[in-house]
Amino acid sequence: MTILLEVNKLSVSVANKQLLTSISFQLEQGDYLCILGPNGAGKSTLLKSLMGIIHSKEGSINLQQEALSALSQKELARLVSYVPQAHSQQLNFSVIDFIKMARYAYHSAFSDWSQDDQQALEYAATITNTEDFLHRQMETLSGGEAQRVMIAAALCQQTPLLLLDEPTSFLDPHHQVEVHQLIQNLNQQHNISIIEVTHDLNHAAQHSQHVLALKQGKKLWHGPSSELLETSRLQALYQQQFVFTTHPQTGAAIALPSEFNNGEHQ
Amino acid sequence: MKPVNTLILIAIATLLILFISPYLGLNVDDTAIQHHILTQLRVPRVLFAFIAGAGLALCGMVFQAMFHNPLATPFTLGVASGASLGAAIYVYLGFSFTIIGLDGGVFAAFMGALIAISFVYSISRYQNGFSPETLLLTGVAISFFFSSLILFTQYLSNLTDSFQILRWLMGSLTTVGYQDIIQLLPFVSICVAVILWLTRELNLLMTGDDIALSRGVSVQKIRYSLFFVTSLCVGAIVALCGPIGFIGMMVPHICRLLIGSDHRWLAPASLLFGGAFLIICDTISRLIIAPAEIPVGVITTLLGGPFFLWLLIKSRSKVA
Repeated sequence: MTILLEVNKLSVSVANKQLLTSISFQLEQGDYLCILGPNGAGKSTLLKSLMGIIHSKEGSINLQQEALSALSQKELARLVSYVPQAHSQQLNFSVIDFIKMARYAYHSAFSDWSQDDQQALEYAATITNTEDFLHRQMETLSGGEAQRVMIAAALCQQTPLLLLDEPTSFLDPHHQVEVHQLIQNLNQQHNISIIEVTHDLNHAAQHSQHVLALKQGKKLWHGPSSELLETSRLQALYQQQFVFTTHPQTGAAIALPSEFNNGEHQ
Repeated sequence: MKPVNTLILIAIATLLILFISPYLGLNVDDTAIQHHILTQLRVPRVLFAFIAGAGLALCGMVFQAMFHNPLATPFTLGVASGASLGAAIYVYLGFSFTIIGLDGGVFAAFMGALIAISFVYSISRYQNGFSPETLLLTGVAISFFFSSLILFTQYLSNLTDSFQILRWLMGSLTTVGYQDIIQLLPFVSICVAVILWLTRELNLLMTGDDIALSRGVSVQKIRYSLFFVTSLCVGAIVALCGPIGFIGMMVPHICRLLIGSDHRWLAPASLLFGGAFLIICDTISRLIIAPAEIPVGVITTLLGGPFFLWLLIKSRSKVA
């Protein structure tokens, strides 16, 4: 397997506050990694470092064997795309214009919309099932539709690596399932490598391949997601007892927060 | 209507205004005097109004996109006050220098504008992002601060300088000639060229910094270059004809309603509309109590004040 992303002893501090300390991990081409951790663990900081928003002086990030710091913002945008958390900005654009804007990295100031651009647009709209509302205005979309458009725009960038920041946090259960399936489909059928920040343990355990657990800016654990749901591991990560059961249909393990914390009642 | 058709209509209307307005209120019988008034007074005045209006409208549009806020303009954020202060100090100190043929007052105003924008930008950054309230309050505070410094400068000046500063602060196009157009044109041209070059980036900036960065926009670099060229442009306009307020807020907003938010169309539309709009205001200002004139800044502010309140109330009700 080829290594797509290599993070080496990455430390980040902003305004004298240490946010990440010596994080190292690798991501193979085609991997699906979930980043877990309590609030303030540095998950978003790590994503922002991978997007070139935060620059760190210590440690290195390599994408396809090239140092991220040596890439221009446009070059980076051809390798990494990003889906933000629920979007609050007022967007006065039609869906199609918003998705088209994602081709920025392939254009110079006055270049025209090309055949490649059109193909990327159609591909992105088809996979995300957004063709039907391409001509609607962004602000008229429901939460689930808006998130699919965000993913469509990121896909239109045609990058080998896709970053998602809690993509389902503000969606109802139906749309959560829909977006989870879409992400899995992208990973399995379209060979896009995924890094997703999430708080949904069971989703991470069932759908992703690997999990990176962060706590207080440090790497707590990195391993196959099938090994995630263990009492001691989750206890260490969240300071919370968990109990386990199985999904009645699939038989997959499921973790639930214990009603009686600190093991009083076990 | 398609954006291209809207733009063509705006262009036609602008041309009509450009050609008709010099002839309005031309109440002299002597053709020789008429000719003189037209070529020596009216034509430079209309051309200057067009260039200044276009520049102010485009700078307003850029601020609205960068701060994600229709109320953010070089005037509401105190950049024009900074420029005014720079120019007032230049008058007070009695300097008179030129740099490569360009008036020193323009450079003084430019420095003032740049200082003001650095203030606003760093304060809004420090407050963790661009909360619209913080931003506008910062702008108001900076405006007040610079305005009182201007008053101070005026107080220290002798009567002639003081009156000169006062008249100029009202924003007037009464005395402009071809010389002023030559002074203004390079600054506005640079600014217009850069903004038209960066229309895609402006579109992406509207979606928020994180998304813009992830799409490949060097947000910081773009932001600084836009601050630089808008400061140049606003500085030059303020130095030459005083702070003419609210055009940068009204024109792009009206254009957005006419042609949409895509800056590839919005920028040329605002440019033409802004130029035409200032010509109209200036024509009103010289006709309304003819043969006397009122400063054009008074007209734009009279129109702009209520418009500002309307926008404020509208954006409030949208949030709530």
